[in-house]
Amino acid sequence: MSSAAASVDRSNNRWERNVPVYGFPVVNKFFLGLSALVLVAFVLSGYRELAGLGPVSGMNDAYGWGIWKTFNLMVLTALGSGAFAVGIAAWVFRRKRMHSLMRMALLTSFLAYACGLLLLGIDAGRPWNFYWIVFPWKWNMHSPLAEVAICMSIYAMIPLAVENIPPVLERLWYFDSRLRPGVELIEKRLHYFFPWIIAAAYLLPGMHQSSLGALMLLAGERVHPLWQTPWLPVLYLGAATFMSFGCVAGTTMLCCLVWKRAMDMEVLDEAARITSWLIFGWLGLRLLDILFRGAMGTAFHFDRFAGVFWLEIFLVSIGGFLLRRSLRYHDPRPMFIGYILSSAGGMIYRFSPTTLAFRPNPEALYFPATIEILVSLGFISLGIVGFLVAVKRLAILPAPLHEWHDMASYFRFRRPYIRWTGYFKYGHFGENETEATESDS
Amino acid sequence: MAITRRQLISGIAKAGVPAAVAVTVGTDVLQAGEPIPVPSAAVGLLYDASICIGCKACVAACAEANNTAPDTRGDELHQAPSDLNDLTRNVIKLYKPEDGSAFSFVKRQCMHCLDPACAAGCPFQALHKDPESGVVSWTAQKCIGCRYCTITCPYHIPRFQWMGFNPRVTKCELCSHRLEKGLKPGCTSVCPTGAVIFGPRSVLLMDAKERIKNSPGRYYQNRVYGEIDNGGTQALYLSRVPFEKLGLPELGPESVPARTLRWQRRFYQYFALPALLYAGLVQVIRKSLKGHEQEAHEREKETGLRAQL
Repeated sequence: MSSAAASVDRSNNRWERNVPVYGFPVVNKFFLGLSALVLVAFVLSGYRELAGLGPVSGMNDAYGWGIWKTFNLMVLTALGSGAFAVGIAAWVFRRKRMHSLMRMALLTSFLAYACGLLLLGIDAGRPWNFYWIVFPWKWNMHSPLAEVAICMSIYAMIPLAVENIPPVLERLWYFDSRLRPGVELIEKRLHYFFPWIIAAAYLLPGMHQSSLGALMLLAGERVHPLWQTPWLPVLYLGAATFMSFGCVAGTTMLCCLVWKRAMDMEVLDEAARITSWLIFGWLGLRLLDILFRGAMGTAFHFDRFAGVFWLEIFLVSIGGFLLRRSLRYHDPRPMFIGYILSSAGGMIYRFSPTTLAFRPNPEALYFPATIEILVSLGFISLGIVGFLVAVKRLAILPAPLHEWHDMASYFRFRRPYIRWTGYFKYGHFGENETEATESDS
Repeated sequence: MAITRRQLISGIAKAGVPAAVAVTVGTDVLQAGEPIPVPSAAVGLLYDASICIGCKACVAACAEANNTAPDTRGDELHQAPSDLNDLTRNVIKLYKPEDGSAFSFVKRQCMHCLDPACAAGCPFQALHKDPESGVVSWTAQKCIGCRYCTITCPYHIPRFQWMGFNPRVTKCELCSHRLEKGLKPGCTSVCPTGAVIFGPRSVLLMDAKERIKNSPGRYYQNRVYGEIDNGGTQALYLSRVPFEKLGLPELGPESVPARTLRWQRRFYQYFALPALLYAGLVQVIRKSLKGHEQEAHEREKETGLRAQL
């Protein structure tokens, strides 16, 4: 053990380094179950391509959009806006502590967007015509849906994917010292373009998360007055910001619980503080808007719309309240529950204008078919599978410094035969480099 | 050199801010209350519900003119679609109130709005309004099958084909293939009572107003539906019963896209505001990136571990 490792303060919980989850196998029963769901979803989406949308889904002439669009895309990309919301806090408003959550944010965002877009390709009736996306003069620039489709694909394929490259390069750097000059060169080039890429990674989601709200503006009166408002784009964007904080911080806390990592309450407190203000700001805008449009009366009708509305408001405000409460006692338990409740409320909000509060005509009904639900679950599982592989193979999860040294000794002394995990083939400290290359040659 | 690169770029940026704001605020994309221009050779339909006898000859003629299979899915025998669907561009429906008051037939087909919501929402212009005749038609080669048109259309006209690997969107295209040959649309060529007639929109509008003038009190509100509703449509309706009962909602004189997408259109006009925002973001992030990198490298020296950016 080197001197650097010996002097590490083990009582310090400050998240200083992203460390892979080590000592847990990637493939376990949970992982295999999820992979089976993914496989089923792939087979069923193959069937959908042949049979059409009718036989596999509950969609009909009145409800043209089913859960593939309204849940997997509209709701889950809101949860996956972490790269946008946490990123803006870290890079634009310079909340430095948020940097330790950035890799989690980037990974969850990429997976949510990638899985959502894959399912969008399956949901589209004539996906082969997507090639028009490369001819900007054929776009309908004023269509919110064109804005969403184009902006989302560009965002997921360029800024988000590029922002996720550094952990992969880092792994290559540790994997083999012969790769290091090449990796360092790529990193240098990448860093040169980073300001432009990061800026695009905030502009584009800001545009398409609000345009997702603008989609339902055109539906007019058919969206219940509690939801239909000219402020829909702003409210959609606002919901995405606090939901994604909930997703990033909540997932990080869950990972810390499952894989027994220390929690840095300074970072988590700051995230919870930002989230609580986002929640109260959003709630204020939501209620003021309803009040000023004079739609408050419909919230007191005894029907399903009022029920959904109050459930959403209740969950979001209880979540916000629990987050504030957790700040007083630095207690992760109410914080975690607060994140879950507020994100659930936000999910109901994002799901409502297209589905729960959409009334195309009095007789129309929509309930997802079994195959539809299975495919939807399968594509969610795909994201979780990707997440599990990534956190166990790449340095994504934030951890205190001693975790890194613990990992090093774990692989050196207890699992010396695992070479493909990469990080420790030639020693993990920068200063060991010369020694390592010697033993290699 | 007198002007450095930095000065040039910041100069352009300083000029860009007021320019972008001016474009966003001053853009004239459909200001409120401005009438929507009617296409030069706008053709349309005039349907008088009060003289329609509900014989459904137009439904059969429509299927024949458009070369679609008759929709016999109801009883495997008769062509009796209950609503518009993937085989039916034109349908006759009956409004019959429970209390025995006046009933009415209604012919439902595309209204060919002057500012169509379906085309406003269509991402790759698969639904397109012809600038001359004003016919709103669908192009298979551009449609991605997103079904946004079925959500946006305030009259709920476009229908998606739910079966098969190559689905199509079905809507009335005013038999534009017949118009090219100098023929009238299928439905108008067979109507026995003249309840639905075809012609230039201006002529039809005059005709409709003439009918209202000749028999005042006969028609609901003494007005033509489609003259100004939803910004004006090219299919015009006269009726004895309230228009809402026939599936023609009161949408007001402003078109749905103009009313709902005004700010959306302003923000994305010439991409001025997003470009401005982007330039600002790049500057801010450059600065934070510099600070962040510096901190990371200092930390690298302290801990002896490679910086993670």
